[in-house]
Amino acid sequence: MSAQLPLALRLRDGLTLETFVAGANQAVLATLTPLLAGEPGQLYLYSDPGLGRTHLLTAAVIQAEQAGRRAVLLPGRELAALPPALLEDFDHFDLLALDDLDLLAGRPEWEEALFHLYNRCRDRGAAMLFAAAAAPAAAGFALPDLRSRLAAGPVFRLQPLTDEALVELLRGRAARRGLTLADEVAGFIVHRGARTPSALLALLDRLDEHALARQRRLTIPLVKEALNW
Amino acid sequence: MSEELWNRCLARLEDELPAQQYSMWIRPLQVVASADGGELILFAPNRFIVDWVRDKYLERIGELLGELQTGALPTLNLKVGASRPSRPAVTPAPVATPAPAPAVNAPVQPPRETASTTTTAKHRSNLNSTFLFDNFVEGKSNRMAAAAAQQVAENPGTHGYNPLLLYGGVGLGKTHLMHAVGNGLLKRNPNAKVVYLHSERFVADMISALRNKTINEFKRFYRTVDALLIDDIQFFAGKEQSQEEFFHTFNALLENGQQIILTCDKFPKEIDGLEERLKSRFGWGLSQPMEPPELETRVAILKKKAEEARIDLPNEAAFFIAQRIRSNVRELEGALKRVIAHVRFTGAPLDIGLVKDALRDLLAIQARQVSVDNIQRTVAEYYKIKIADLLSPRRSRSVARPRQVAMALSKELTSHSLPEIGDSFGGRDHTTVLHACRKVKELREGSTEIEEDYQNLLRSLTS
Repeated sequence: MSAQLPLALRLRDGLTLETFVAGANQAVLATLTPLLAGEPGQLYLYSDPGLGRTHLLTAAVIQAEQAGRRAVLLPGRELAALPPALLEDFDHFDLLALDDLDLLAGRPEWEEALFHLYNRCRDRGAAMLFAAAAAPAAAGFALPDLRSRLAAGPVFRLQPLTDEALVELLRGRAARRGLTLADEVAGFIVHRGARTPSALLALLDRLDEHALARQRRLTIPLVKEALNW
Repeated sequence: MSEELWNRCLARLEDELPAQQYSMWIRPLQVVASADGGELILFAPNRFIVDWVRDKYLERIGELLGELQTGALPTLNLKVGASRPSRPAVTPAPVATPAPAPAVNAPVQPPRETASTTTTAKHRSNLNSTFLFDNFVEGKSNRMAAAAAQQVAENPGTHGYNPLLLYGGVGLGKTHLMHAVGNGLLKRNPNAKVVYLHSERFVADMISALRNKTINEFKRFYRTVDALLIDDIQFFAGKEQSQEEFFHTFNALLENGQQIILTCDKFPKEIDGLEERLKSRFGWGLSQPMEPPELETRVAILKKKAEEARIDLPNEAAFFIAQRIRSNVRELEGALKRVIAHVRFTGAPLDIGLVKDALRDLLAIQARQVSVDNIQRTVAEYYKIKIADLLSPRRSRSVARPRQVAMALSKELTSHSLPEIGDSFGGRDHTTVLHACRKVKELREGSTEIEEDYQNLLRSLTS
């Protein structure tokens, strides 16, 4: 066997920690950093949809992998359709990120499997990241053992970004795509559109396409035309 | 087969597949190419993933490699395992060596490729060396249990204390005390064979011993320990074969005076799906309940934990947290970790204000999300006006000001777009909302009274 090949990481639209606009969520990043550096521990994030939970988890997994650790992102949406047996041996990862965990809440066999996975990971000194739509006590978990373990570490609610931060996000993301987005155009979008990162980025997709097809710069009139505002 | 080729293949898969599928099935694959490039091995974490990837993705991976490379294609092989070990594994402390166990828990099982039932059955205490009597905070609620545990640590196998069963709700320190006994036994006799495991692990190991025809080793291993510590025995419920095996192990140990310590989330007689003969055996020794700690103990726990983290936790802040988080110690410590993260990050002094800030949503009666409706109701109540006024076209100051405040709060506390917020306020334009937000910002800066109103509203909406 030759040297093993590192995983390719084509960074889909830049889902890295650098592109995560933290805004009022700096404490989350501060808590995440040691976990990515290999310290054992856990972090539980919850928020309304679209505020960047999946971005953070994906970025964390990619960064841990780049540092030579075994890391995996398990999306609750994907798991929900499958039997819990598939978690077997996932405790051998150094960093385990479980997204949309609340989608597995209230399903006894899944809750028990997660509880056992948690115990094994903790015993091995792994890092665990959880993301869900609500806090551990409010996410619908029926197994008290699991619920209290999820609340055993720092729990953060992701705070929405301010308009300034949303403008920064939008401009940064546009720049990665080679689009120039003036401050006032970004501000215009933020004031008219939904104010979550994911909704704004979906708008950016549409604008990107529209501008590309017409070979025009992104101006306020073009935004109005593209989005029927 | 080059690294670059595989990277290009991954890039294509990432483009083609929904992000969640890519994360779940493709990203965790680890790849090793043979030196001559003739073979490409994809390692997956377990059998389930191997089968799934083979069914759903392997063909496409082959096609992509074909498109991306001219010339001979490598043979694709999917296997369970890992091309590289996970974190530099902490070497488990064999019971025969008195060396203190590493700070991080020893892995329960070696990486898959080297795993076998016999290695699992090697002496591995799995004790967490950080759980000691010294750092167990005693109070009225757990004093009896702690005393019994101490007694067992000093005189294992004593009649009347065997088995020692600690039971109670989650997060009350059962596991801590159990490990403390184990660590105490090792300190007394470094050669003692003390084994801690979760009941789930006992079941899993037994199943794999049966599968690998090593059940005799399994039996021999568990029957020759000096002390067997099994956590959460309620998970034996409904697993008849494991109960049967455990019953025999239990009897063998008890007959020879080896110590058994068990934990359970309730009094064993109350567990459904547990054989009567086991229930009755569990009651042969000493069963000690553990209750939720009272306020003073919760404060003492917080102070101790803060001290361990080298954080100065003032009494009033400790009382503030302890008064609000009553359910169990684990969640109490979780809250403290959150406060500590806040202190470390902001560098602000640890006082009640900071605690409130750090635990804002935890302290909320329920972790409800704030809605525009809710904001309108709260604001109307606060200013003693009707909700209908907020939504009406009226523009008198007595109504317009509260309306602007409610709009600003809606913008700050919800993720609704400005047009949506405008809609919720009687179909106003988003520029009106924008104007309201600017106006309120200006007013808050200029008037302490309005700033106070705003802060009051913010507090009652978020806590």
